[in-house]
Amino acid sequence: MGVIDLDGLEVRLANRTVLNNLTGELQGQAIGLLGPNGAGKSTLINTLLGFHLPSKGKARVFGLDTHKDRAQIRGGIGYMPENDSFIGNMSGVRFVRYMAELAGLPPGVALERAHEALFYVGLGEVRYRKVNTYSLGMKQLVKLAQALAHGPRLLILDEPTNGLDPVARQRMIQLIKDIRKEGSIRLLISSHLLRDIDETCDEVLILKNGRIASLCNIEEERRSNRSFVELETVGATERFSVSIRGLGCECATFPGGRIKLVIPDNIEARDLYVIASEQGVQIRRMNQRRDSLEDIFLRAMDNDQGRTANGSL
Amino acid sequence: MAVYKRNYTAYQGAVTPVWSRVLVLARYAFDEAWSSKITVGLFIFCLLPCILSLLAIYVANNPMARALIGGRGQEALAINASFFLKVLHTQSWLALAMASWIAPRLITFDLADNALPILLSHPISRFGYVFGKFIALFGSLSLITWFPCLLLFADQAYSSSQPWAMSNLQIAIGLFLGSVIWIAFLSILGLALSSWVKWRVVATGVIFAAVFVPAGVGAIFSAVLRTKWGLLLNVPVMMSDLWQRLLGIPESIDERLSLPTLAIAVTLSLACLVCVGMLNKRIRAREVVRG
Repeated sequence: MGVIDLDGLEVRLANRTVLNNLTGELQGQAIGLLGPNGAGKSTLINTLLGFHLPSKGKARVFGLDTHKDRAQIRGGIGYMPENDSFIGNMSGVRFVRYMAELAGLPPGVALERAHEALFYVGLGEVRYRKVNTYSLGMKQLVKLAQALAHGPRLLILDEPTNGLDPVARQRMIQLIKDIRKEGSIRLLISSHLLRDIDETCDEVLILKNGRIASLCNIEEERRSNRSFVELETVGATERFSVSIRGLGCECATFPGGRIKLVIPDNIEARDLYVIASEQGVQIRRMNQRRDSLEDIFLRAMDNDQGRTANGSL
Repeated sequence: MAVYKRNYTAYQGAVTPVWSRVLVLARYAFDEAWSSKITVGLFIFCLLPCILSLLAIYVANNPMARALIGGRGQEALAINASFFLKVLHTQSWLALAMASWIAPRLITFDLADNALPILLSHPISRFGYVFGKFIALFGSLSLITWFPCLLLFADQAYSSSQPWAMSNLQIAIGLFLGSVIWIAFLSILGLALSSWVKWRVVATGVIFAAVFVPAGVGAIFSAVLRTKWGLLLNVPVMMSDLWQRLLGIPESIDERLSLPTLAIAVTLSLACLVCVGMLNKRIRAREVVRG
């Protein structure tokens, strides 16, 4: 059983198909949800929270149907919405306590956990201030605190770094990493920023026009992709490139002794040095580059057919 | 986890039953309503007529005081259904003022701060959310309507030298039912109108207007078409009719203009349904972050 199971999920809003035949099983500890504006990220999150009734298919969270068992699902989810969403004339601690009580914590425990959650996210010193006096970064953090206070099994973060300055963003990313490391919470993070997903997630679901453009384990994807290497050489470059083609590498030579090559999994960088040594070629510089999430994302966006070949679903 | 240890740990303890989350909403809404000094001041003001009525009951049941005020004063101080109808009238219209102040506080803050996506992402439904707010408003209005009215009834029953309570039980039932119908109507009306108005002060005015403006429209309707059915838009007249019947008092208006109880009940029910529809539409639209 995955964290989130999508089984031919279709959601129509105002006679428009917003999510179209989504099928897949999300199992990662931290799942990134990527896609351009209007791809259906927020609709998918709202469907998982039980706000939208699927017109076809099903979505399940921890094996529970998002429509029939929505109360049970919501009890186990911490949700941090994208936009400002709080009760401004309440103090931070009262707001977080209120949300924790709504999630099912007894009043005394909710108060204790509210204090803890606010200290955890770094708002301990300002917890008695009214939420509407908080800065944008503090408001993001208080939303995170309320999502964490009741100890959810799944934490849904919708654009958690939206509007944050670099320092606050780094702090938010670090908090997400810490939560992931703690291990008891699964994360679903929706973001426009590839870097945020790259730093925090191990699995990524890319949506495009309401369809799954790609669903992959980021690490596996990187490993399975071929490695791109750029060399700067001095000496008999042409002969050297012929020799490394003989190893099974694809390569292209450029003026100034520059060579770009793709090395298969069974070839190590050392093999290149051995051939270079044999042929009296100096390797002055070697840059090894693996696929970034950006490459995965752009490839998914280029694929007009929707799912990439990697979608194992 | 102690507060000084900034580590996250999962919660392993017991959780409260899902049905009790409505009471959490009601409790926080009640706190919100009563956190304003104006609410407290209004509450004290609303209890002043009850204190005067309490004094009247004391005087009416005290032989020495009765002797002092003489024959005509004794007639004016008769503690009967008419006396309680006046009390009910006064408290009910004060309840309108109270509702128009409290109802916007309960709902406009949530809407203005876009709190619904967070609130409703917890195990609470739209109905539960509205019901929680309704309980808070209904409870607050109860404190100035049926509760003091029944206390006055109990005081009269205790003070009267004659066996009084059992022979006037209809008054107590009428006071309770009349108040409950009115404050339930006010609560649902107040919440529905507040959900559609962004500014609290305007919402307060709109609630008053919703009660009195249709009365004018109904009067024009009745005058033009020479019919009594325009009175169905006149909430003050309609409620007055209903209260008189519930307390067992002969009607004060012309019998030809009197409205059937069924018509009053249907009108109030329809008004409540419209309010529920308004609330549902408004809250449904604001429960998710559209993206």
